[in-house]
Amino acid sequence: MTGEQQTRLLERLLKGEQQAFKELVDTYQGAMRAVAYAIVGSRHADEAVQDAWLAVVRNLKGFEQRSSLKTWLLTITANAAKTRYKQNRREVLLDDLPGPHGTIGDERFATDGHWLQGPAAWHEDTPEALLSREQMRECLEHTLLSLSELQRSVLLLRERQGLELEQICNLLDISLSNVRVLLHRARLKVFATLEHFEETGQC
Amino acid sequence: MLSCKQLVARSSDYLDKQLTLGERLMVRQHLLFCSHCRRFLKQMRVAQATVRALPEEPVVDSQALAERLARELKDS
Ligand SMILES: [Zn+2]
Repeated sequence: MTGEQQTRLLERLLKGEQQAFKELVDTYQGAMRAVAYAIVGSRHADEAVQDAWLAVVRNLKGFEQRSSLKTWLLTITANAAKTRYKQNRREVLLDDLPGPHGTIGDERFATDGHWLQGPAAWHEDTPEALLSREQMRECLEHTLLSLSELQRSVLLLRERQGLELEQICNLLDISLSNVRVLLHRARLKVFATLEHFEETGQC
Repeated sequence: MLSCKQLVARSSDYLDKQLTLGERLMVRQHLLFCSHCRRFLKQMRVAQATVRALPEEPVVDSQALAERLARELKDS
C-alpha cells in the first residue's frame, strides 16, 4: 500500500466507514494472526488478534503515520499478545522438530564438503506449477504444521508477509541470530519436502 | 574456498542479504564454478516463492468484524 493509499484509507476509517474497515481486515488480518500466533501459539492467537483490533480502533485517531500502517498494526498485535499471555511465552525458542521429509543435512555431503549427489532438477520449477497439484499443497501444509509454532511463524512472516528480519526480531523479541537460525531450518525442511515430492511424485 | 556444505549453511543468509561483503563474494565465486549449488539456490528461491504462493487461511467473517469495528469507533 502506498503512502497515499494509506492516507486515504485512514480518512475513511476515521469517518467510521464500514467498507474501509473491511478492507483493513482483509488486508492485514493474516499478518496480524501470524504475529499473534508466534507469540501466544495457535490456541490463543485469535483472542490476541481480537484484543489488537479493539486497541487499533481506540488508537486510530492518534496514529501519526511515522511508521507504515502495517508496522503499526503488527506492533499493536505483538503488544496485545504479549500483555495478555505473558505467562504463555515459550522459553525454548530454538526447538527443532524433525520434518516429515528431513532436511538438507550432513549426509548429503562428502567429508570434503562437496555434494555427494547434487540436487536433481525439478519437473516443475514455478510455484504455480508446484501448487497446481492438490496433493503437493497438502504435503507442504503438512510440513509447515510439523514445524514448531515459532519456526513456522518466522517462516510465514518472512516469506508470506514479506517482513524484514529486523521487524521480526522487534515484534517477537528474539535476536537476529535466532531469527536467522529458525528461518534457515524451516526453509531446508520445506526444500526437502519439495525435493521429495519432485522425486517420488508423492508426499 | 567455500565448500558446498558451507554454502548451503549460508544460503538463507545469502538470500536475505545477511552476509558480509567478503562472505557474499565467496558465495558468488563458489557459484561461478559449482552447478550443483547454483541449482540448489535456484530451488531454494522456488521454495520461498511456493510458500509465499500457498493460499492463506481466509478471515472467517471479515464483514461482521468490520461492522463491529466501525461501531466501536463511533462509540469511542
Ligand atoms: Zn557447490
